[in-house]
Amino acid sequence: MSITVSVNDASLQVTIAIVGSFDFSLFNEFRAAYINLKNDYRLYVVDMSMVEYLDSAALGMLLSMRNALGQQSKIELQGANEFIKNILMISRFDKRFDIH
Amino acid sequence: MKLLCIDSEQIYCDIIALCAEKEGVVVESATNFNDAISVFKRFSPDIVTLDVLIKGGSGLELVRELKNLSGKRFVPMIFLASQTSDAVMNRCFKCGADDFIPKPFSEVLFEIRLKTHMRHVELIKEMYRKNKALTYYQAMIEREHEMAHHVLDHIQTRSENNTDHVMITRLSAASFNGDLALVKTRSDGARLAFVGDFTGHGLPASIGALPIMQAFFDAVDDLLSVHDLAVQMNRILISILPDYMFCAGYLLLISPNGEVTYWGGGMPNAYIQRNDGRFEYLHSLHMPLGILGVSEFEVNLNSIMLHPNDTLIIVSDGVLELKNSSNEMLGEDRVKELISEAYPNTPLVVAQLTVEKKLAEYRKESLQMDDITLVSLRNAC
Repeated sequence: MSITVSVNDASLQVTIAIVGSFDFSLFNEFRAAYINLKNDYRLYVVDMSMVEYLDSAALGMLLSMRNALGQQSKIELQGANEFIKNILMISRFDKRFDIH
Repeated sequence: MKLLCIDSEQIYCDIIALCAEKEGVVVESATNFNDAISVFKRFSPDIVTLDVLIKGGSGLELVRELKNLSGKRFVPMIFLASQTSDAVMNRCFKCGADDFIPKPFSEVLFEIRLKTHMRHVELIKEMYRKNKALTYYQAMIEREHEMAHHVLDHIQTRSENNTDHVMITRLSAASFNGDLALVKTRSDGARLAFVGDFTGHGLPASIGALPIMQAFFDAVDDLLSVHDLAVQMNRILISILPDYMFCAGYLLLISPNGEVTYWGGGMPNAYIQRNDGRFEYLHSLHMPLGILGVSEFEVNLNSIMLHPNDTLIIVSDGVLELKNSSNEMLGEDRVKELISEAYPNTPLVVAQLTVEKKLAEYRKESLQMDDITLVSLRNAC
């Protein structure tokens, strides 16, 4: 699987890890990763340390996640490599997400 | 599932029928060569069992004939034979057999093998069905992409292009993603330009492009400010596009005195190649169009001077991410090198053609993944 979801109920944290190419092919799978969670979590982490490529469709999918979870939810984009971090910064995703 | 049992001895046909019917398989049998051919044609079985020795012909000849008759259909042929030497088995497989069970055979073993072959037949049928569905969807998507291309190409025809002051290069990728480049001179002599890169593929991208184009040309007629046009474009896209779609872009106005006022969101740096060789940059400081709501949208503009014979160059990320045959991206350094070699002291049309040629040389046979847009502008005065 390209997407793994791990939920920590004690710390109210959800981690969505993506492996390989983060692109349009993951559209449904990525949405399923956060849309069916029961609780409201304190922190949502998108682990991108294993992502090799990211296209603009993936940026759209992140925005969609942001809208679905509400502006109050904390979403961290973690572990992006320099190339991907650059794409995120060009589109100023730091305005809507915490980028680490 | 249907099984054809070919055996000259009726008793074997009965045993095989008994075993196969337990698995819910419909069985017909044939006891000689010619019958086997005619039953195969009429019954069109999913699986065949046969012997090496058959009345009226050879089993080896028969298996070849039946495989031929199956055409593209995969019909497993299982030999059940009392001649069990390696040489015979070898010949059977060479003639097209898929399995070989020595006689006398254990019913349990036969049933297990039969079930395995049934599973294979099911899998291959499933694969054919999916393949057919995929072919259908692929054809549909290709048609939609063609239509989107058509729509966008039509929009592009209203833009200025191929002049001493405006050159637009658009190279579409195999998987089309919707770049848009519009340039038009206003009645007051100022020139308005929009270079945009929509998210998504095919039709959705062109759907966003239509109202953007309309707003752009209305703004040319109405002498609308860059500020107001940026706000309007953002509002249009917010209202018509789903939340996962947006449009990165530069919107700029070049006054007759060379002052460039611009808004940029989600785009790589754009360049001003001074005629003396120096580089300066246009920075895209904002989120792309179609993300932030009306109250959040940031529209502070920047400005920079474009002197006579300077060139302003905007490239889409497709240019920076263009890959050569060793999968290396072109990258910003090489783009700057290309620009600095091509544009200074060279007519715009010539310089642009040089860059197009260099990009093609870099790419060689490797697949262009993204649309490529390269717009260069010079001040008319």
